[in-house]
Amino acid sequence: MSSEIARTNPTPPPPPVERMVFTPPIDIYETDDGLLLRADLPGVSLDTLELQVQDNKLTLFGRMQPSIPEGARLLHQEFETGDFLRSFILSDEVAHERISAKLNHGVLEVLLPKAPKAEPRRIEVRTN
Amino acid sequence: MAVFRWGHSWDAFHDLEREVDRLLQSVNMTFQGLRFSRQYPPVNLYELPEEYLIMAEVPGVRPEDLELTVAGGVLGMKGRCVEPEGTSEERFRRQERPRGVWQRSISIPDRVNVDNLSAEFTNGMLKIHLPKAEAAVPRQIPVAFGS
Repeated sequence: MSSEIARTNPTPPPPPVERMVFTPPIDIYETDDGLLLRADLPGVSLDTLELQVQDNKLTLFGRMQPSIPEGARLLHQEFETGDFLRSFILSDEVAHERISAKLNHGVLEVLLPKAPKAEPRRIEVRTN
Repeated sequence: MAVFRWGHSWDAFHDLEREVDRLLQSVNMTFQGLRFSRQYPPVNLYELPEEYLIMAEVPGVRPEDLELTVAGGVLGMKGRCVEPEGTSEERFRRQERPRGVWQRSISIPDRVNVDNLSAEFTNGMLKIHLPKAEAAVPRQIPVAFGS
């Protein structure tokens, strides 16, 4: 009887595994040319990293993909795999079009160059 | 001119919602960290049929600053989080990343063949292979059937 019920009510497929989203720790410091941002993104490679600027918002998204072989049994856990997400509002003093970035040993480095200050312009006043 | 756009205001609301979710998650993580008195670097330990695998999160460590030792059944890890050279404290607008020298020791079981340890370092992740000693790998024992 019980096997009959089991057959008519098949177990639903397991829900998709939800990935955790982490806020990566960052450093921001001033250089002579602008600001330098560093973010710790362990396990993120160039292929799984997205960096974009929209309006005045800089967003970084990285997917952690540690190479764990199939069938490995977890014995002890101190960190979880997931995605890194963080966004920043850029001030007007950053030259958006000259932003550059590199990824080295799990650290993203974004260079935010200072926009040149607008020079005061003299406006000639004429009279009729 | 439309100063206020509906689409954008809702987007902002969703952003906030997500932000709160994330905040709660991170608080949760903090509690976990306190409970287990978090050590640096965080490590995960896996078991495979032929080996144990240690994964450690060590972003920003240069391979030449990384030191791995094994002695007396203890695996020692030592490294340094590189700080930007010649940067004075007052130039930092934000400082959240761990810095300085770190060290951690992990005792490894007897069933590990310490002569054949190997390690890889990719994308700020350190992966240490600890092959199991011969005796620890399950061996098939043939069973003879008596007539």
